[in-house]
Amino acid sequence: MGGEMKKKGHPTIVCRCNDVTLEDVERAIEEGCHDLECLRKVLRIGMGPCQGRTCIPIVARILARKLGKRVDELELPTVRAPILPVPVHLLLKSREGEQP
Amino acid sequence: MKIVIVGAGISGLFTAYSLAKMGVRDVVVLEKRYVGYGSTGRCATGIRASFTSEEHIVLMKESIRLWKEYSEGELGRYGLNFVQGGYVWLARKEETVDTFRKLVALHNSLGVPTRVIDRDELRSLVPPLNTNLVAGAMHDPMAGKSYVFTTLRALMKACRELGVRIATGTEVRKLIARGSRIVAAETSKGEVSGDIFVIAAGAGSRELLKTVGIEIPTKNIPRHILTTEPYQRAFEPLVIDWDTPGVPYIVQIIEGNFFIGRDIEEEPEQSIYSQRIDFMPKALKPIAELFPFIKAVRVLRYWIGYYVATPDNHPIYGPVNNFDNLFIATGFSGHGYMMGPVTGKIIAEWILEGRPSIPQAEKLTLDRFERGALVRELAVIG
Repeated sequence: MGGEMKKKGHPTIVCRCNDVTLEDVERAIEEGCHDLECLRKVLRIGMGPCQGRTCIPIVARILARKLGKRVDELELPTVRAPILPVPVHLLLKSREGEQP
Repeated sequence: MKIVIVGAGISGLFTAYSLAKMGVRDVVVLEKRYVGYGSTGRCATGIRASFTSEEHIVLMKESIRLWKEYSEGELGRYGLNFVQGGYVWLARKEETVDTFRKLVALHNSLGVPTRVIDRDELRSLVPPLNTNLVAGAMHDPMAGKSYVFTTLRALMKACRELGVRIATGTEVRKLIARGSRIVAAETSKGEVSGDIFVIAAGAGSRELLKTVGIEIPTKNIPRHILTTEPYQRAFEPLVIDWDTPGVPYIVQIIEGNFFIGRDIEEEPEQSIYSQRIDFMPKALKPIAELFPFIKAVRVLRYWIGYYVATPDNHPIYGPVNNFDNLFIATGFSGHGYMMGPVTGKIIAEWILEGRPSIPQAEKLTLDRFERGALVRELAVIG
């Protein structure tokens, strides 16, 4: 996804986990993705190791500008456990897993 | 003719796509939240025809044919991508291999080319697997996977180009009937009238149909799944640990993440936002035994989606006795995503031609529960 070069200079990356560019975001909005959940799912923004902490605020501003809304009028995507990436070997030490 | 579809999940969008392809110019899809909000966007992305009823097998064989055809056509150019990576069921016990032999005979008799494979073949299909724990396996080479969000994006694009309107953030609160016809849907943004109504609202279908006095016997059962970060390709099949309670599974999706799931005891109708942290170690423990490398992998995220389950675990398709212009496509019991293409095709045929081209679909109408004509599994195993 993304990675296309503009005629001059480099593309503007808005999601570093999945290499999503500003152009990708704008195109998805033009295709009809008018909420952050749709952009997240269509572009995989916020689905990488940062879980959206880097990109969602940037994407929210782009979307708000495109829709003529304020950022705080947008619904934010769901936050899911375990919040930060956790290695499997640590999760296996959890006592919750002892009962089958 | 104006066709109103409730639900922009896989069933609603494939129905809209098939109708538009067959020439219907006025199709509206009403969606409570956003495209793929319900069970579709939460699924494990697996696709297979290796079931134990004639109805499932015949419908899924056609669905797989369509997944392939769509992958190579217009939807494929928009990103829909079906990868025929297969399914592998693992037997930890010797006697389970005998069960697999019986299943293979049934599948083969209905044209699904499953096979029992030995550990050498298993190692070549799933190189990182610890085969010391495995007595044998069943392989379904016809099965595969398709990443759900690229599929949805392709459908959104193709539908919009064909003139289908997709109204997100538009919740249908009730249906309005006049005599034997549905005349309108009352939504959070006003009334939407139409000539034909299709209810493909997944977990929300039951309550919506109650508003016109129709009872469907579905239960919404929460199912849990987690994803790791994406990694380089390790193996293509979806692997199922048949002999462990809760039947854990792992699949590396096309994007590189590993999806891992396992059934844990759950109350029907429990909220999909009530997370169970114990799910993660419970699902990971058997998978880490089978795939030791997974211990070093990082878990990104965990979520819940509903299986909209019927008493015979088969979908509810087609028209409803007391109404002339109402069609249902729900109750997929965990198989709605894989059935999406065939669901769209047969519902569109039902609407436009009066009956589906696959006669087995006619055995899946709602009235089967009143008639006591539930679908018969040809083999009940395990």
